[in-house]
Amino acid sequence: MAIVKIDRDGKQHTVYVAGSAGDVWAFYDGHVYRSERPERPAEAGRYERGSERHGRYELNAPMPATVIKILVAPGQAVRHGDTLVVVEAMKMELPIRAPGDATVKAVNCREGELVQPDRALVELE
Amino acid sequence: MIARLLIANRGEIALRIIRACREMGVESVAVYSDADRHAPHVGAADRSVHIGPAPAVDSYLSARRVIDAARATGADAIHPGYGFLSENAAFAAECEQAGIVFVGPPSGVIAQMGSKIAARRLMQNAGVPVVPGETPHDQSDSGIAALVSRVGFPALVKASAGGGGKGMRRVDEAAQCVEAIQSARREAESAFGDGTLYVERLIEKPRHVEVQIFADNHDHTVHLFERECSVQRRHQKVIEESPSCIVNSRLRSRMTDAAVQAARACGYRNAGTVEFLVDTSGGRGTERFYFLEMNTRLQVEHPVTEQVTGLDLVRAQLLVASGEPLPWLSPSISQRGHAIEARVYAEDPSRGFLPQAGRLLLYREPRLPGIRIDSGVEEGSDIPVQYDAMIAKVIATAATRDEAIARLTCALRDFPILGVHTNVPFLLRILEHPRFRAGEVDTGFLDSEGASLATAGAEMPDVVREAIATYESSSRESRAASPESPAPSPQSRQDPWDLVKSWRS
Repeated sequence: MAIVKIDRDGKQHTVYVAGSAGDVWAFYDGHVYRSERPERPAEAGRYERGSERHGRYELNAPMPATVIKILVAPGQAVRHGDTLVVVEAMKMELPIRAPGDATVKAVNCREGELVQPDRALVELE
Repeated sequence: MIARLLIANRGEIALRIIRACREMGVESVAVYSDADRHAPHVGAADRSVHIGPAPAVDSYLSARRVIDAARATGADAIHPGYGFLSENAAFAAECEQAGIVFVGPPSGVIAQMGSKIAARRLMQNAGVPVVPGETPHDQSDSGIAALVSRVGFPALVKASAGGGGKGMRRVDEAAQCVEAIQSARREAESAFGDGTLYVERLIEKPRHVEVQIFADNHDHTVHLFERECSVQRRHQKVIEESPSCIVNSRLRSRMTDAAVQAARACGYRNAGTVEFLVDTSGGRGTERFYFLEMNTRLQVEHPVTEQVTGLDLVRAQLLVASGEPLPWLSPSISQRGHAIEARVYAEDPSRGFLPQAGRLLLYREPRLPGIRIDSGVEEGSDIPVQYDAMIAKVIATAATRDEAIARLTCALRDFPILGVHTNVPFLLRILEHPRFRAGEVDTGFLDSEGASLATAGAEMPDVVREAIATYESSSRESRAASPESPAPSPQSRQDPWDLVKSWRS
């Protein structure tokens, strides 16, 4: 981490900076900025709730979480906004919803299981 | 007097209690789970006991493990803090049976106040007004749904054993009913181990005003004035203050009288809070208030009361639990100036307030006049996924509300936290909001205005761009200078003792 002083317009501005190459955090005047430049493009977006590849959606948990309820099964048709899986993290329930009308291709988790954000919990197409 | 106190909690409240122990010459015993081995509260206590794995049900929520830890360390009293076992009547009863002083009210009072039906009945009998609602005998989805339609929309479905907004759902229409009931029940079961639900009529645009009360074993019951906690997100308090700007001296005396009445009616002991909803729809001078619930523990927001009264609530808790009389009585208690507390959470307001877990790469608490910070973390701390995401409480005290808001704003602007997203930008936007400034905030404020307050920040200023560039080039240089070091980023915390270990091996 570092405390960087920048001189500009006759004033000294203090910016707190921390992080490593490709993921740098900065704090300035009550605001936090994050400069993310993924060095491995394949991993870009892995912390997004879902990613689309060739018309298939993979829906991930947004953070390490426990699966508490699975509401769909493979082959089932779902509509935009339908809750597919409910996960719990930090004592909060987080519903994972369908990003559009689709068919459930696979469900890759079990109720009660602790899942990491890089795992596709539900695949849609 | 208590000789050795076990603190059955973690984070800022564990540290707050440990500090009170130190001042009073009471030995402190911390407990910790696997996730908290290196947490600040563990090092701060005189001794510490490992009580289990990271999930709270197997550690901080396990009555057996906590009591075993108290026995093993010879603690004569247990302070439960807030959350976890603090409002668990069975746990308080087990302490009583084990001959350990529970710092709080008797188990019977916790049980009575923990049951919304019993609490309401008692309050009604004591002449304290209550909001219409009940706990259905038929706890099936359809039984609860039927009561929801009878009570009318909008309705609230909430955990009968609850608090802190966990296991609570608003229902606006019949179509949402079943999903709301099931999800409230699941949350209630996982948070409190009891899925019993309660249904009540929702009062539109109420203000949340609560009264701090305190009672000892010598027939003294006092109040320490009110706190207003109307700034809530999904029933979780975000900003709390005292005094409340809608409470004039007449309303204050009516509400504090009702709160003392409530405490006397249930045989209350130690610190407690009587929460009221205030209906201001009739305009100034016609406010009506309703008993919401009684919290039979120390509240998260207790520092606000400490700041305006100048009293130490935790110290008084330990004295009262030891059987001593309250250290202060009504005529000597006064409310002076204005205090506001903001809760800093590790959560990302721009992504639906998603709780954040991770390491605090940088964490510097501001030092300013009139600012108190109660926190349970330090630079380098890991925020675990298993527990509540609150990292600090920032409390500003000043002569007036406007000055306290200005102070709190300055403190939050000067509180760098990097490595996890926090709600600080969101807190700053609340403090700047004209409705908050004017004191015209009801409990629905954040749900109606929250979306605009939560939006992601502006473009990165040039100053920040330049600072990041400077930082990145200096880390590249240091990496080039030490090619043998595998992870030369400035944030990698190189512990000199790691080097020592490698020399020895």
